[in-house]
Amino acid sequence: MRSEYIWSIVLFFPLLIIQTTIIPLIAIHGVMPDLIMVLLVYYSMRCGQIYGTALGFFYGLLFDLITGSLLGSTMFSKTLAGFIAGYFSNENKRELYFKSYIFLLIVFLCSVIDLVVSAFFSSVDLNTSLVRLLFEQGILPGIYTAVLGIFVIMFYPKRSIS
Amino acid sequence: MLRFFSSVWENFKEYIVLVILLIISLVTMSINQKPAARKIRSIAFGSFAAFTSVISDVVNIGGLKSENASLRKLNAELMLQVNELRKYGIENAELKGLLGLKDTTKLPLIAGTVVSKSLSRSQGTFTLNIGSRQGVKPGMPVIDDLGLVGIVNSTSGDFSIVRTLKNLDLKLTVQDERSQVQGIMKWNGTDLVMIDIPKTYDIEPGDRIETSQLSSIVNIPIPVGTVIGLSKVETGIFNEVRIYPFVDFIKTEHIFVIAIVESKIEDGEQLNFYKRNHLSEINK
Repeated sequence: MRSEYIWSIVLFFPLLIIQTTIIPLIAIHGVMPDLIMVLLVYYSMRCGQIYGTALGFFYGLLFDLITGSLLGSTMFSKTLAGFIAGYFSNENKRELYFKSYIFLLIVFLCSVIDLVVSAFFSSVDLNTSLVRLLFEQGILPGIYTAVLGIFVIMFYPKRSIS
Repeated sequence: MLRFFSSVWENFKEYIVLVILLIISLVTMSINQKPAARKIRSIAFGSFAAFTSVISDVVNIGGLKSENASLRKLNAELMLQVNELRKYGIENAELKGLLGLKDTTKLPLIAGTVVSKSLSRSQGTFTLNIGSRQGVKPGMPVIDDLGLVGIVNSTSGDFSIVRTLKNLDLKLTVQDERSQVQGIMKWNGTDLVMIDIPKTYDIEPGDRIETSQLSSIVNIPIPVGTVIGLSKVETGIFNEVRIYPFVDFIKTEHIFVIAIVESKIEDGEQLNFYKRNHLSEINK
């Protein structure tokens, strides 16, 4: 089994602890970044679309079980996000993506999709303006999550070990 | 035939995996309230919360010094207020005695700490470091020094999960403290709102909102928030009253669980569904 598969599972738990204890402290007007999404996008791009989809499903399942959210809602949105992140899993361009702002754009895109789908599945009042929903619940947290993605670009090895 | 399926799988395997996993997610949503799902969930969050509580303690220590200073100041202010209220209390007790009413204001409280928070826009939940061993049960209200935080949703031995007011699945009957207007309060994803309030009802910005005696879940008056405005004023015959909660959900750390699960029975039917679920699980 590739070590990346194991790391993608192992890293989830410390990140979830940080997500539920420290991240609320850096929320800006209730807008919080999603560390799990950065991890999901990273491994979806490294390991391919099918693995990304399955990993999103697994992360969502654990997240719903552990945090007490509606079981299935995060599973659905993270599965979709993992699938979309997997689209950018191109062996030839991978290094380029991880070392540039493109990675941030992918994190932003997946994050927005995850949050908007999650909001719809949680039966958020549909009388709320769609533009407002997209902006407050999708774009703002998406930007914040993408900002955290900078750490991946910063600490990504300059030369691939393989 | 086999070759056909093989070629379909080869060409569309990503989509097939996606569709299967999405269908499983949808099916999972429908089994949320099943006892087996609740049991798995309580084991999962119970084991994880043990790790989270260690980190949470370390994080909280940093803020203790400044919190102590502000609490001392608050203590002094409250001492002055208590002194003032004591006089009213004595007078009130005398009047109640004359009317033959009993004082029922003493509530059993269980102190606890928030060990982790999931503050998504629609599913706000807290994990507490107290559980069934400390006497916490689903349906018990959770408060802090400012007001109502939420309702205990599930418990394990030493931990419990609370649905905060900012959770779409939590709906409570509340009332305007001044005009006694009753209504259903819910979180709509962006605001805490009282829904379907007739336009002729007397509710004004600045009014305090508290839980109502009519509620089947929390029928003791606990402060919830203040009215910040009305929406849907231009259309229909109902207003939506927007409420700003007293509790700051980002900062909440120390909480109290009120150790009662209200029982409200009408026509032989238990109206508090937390109590109903508890009884049905016992019967099974």
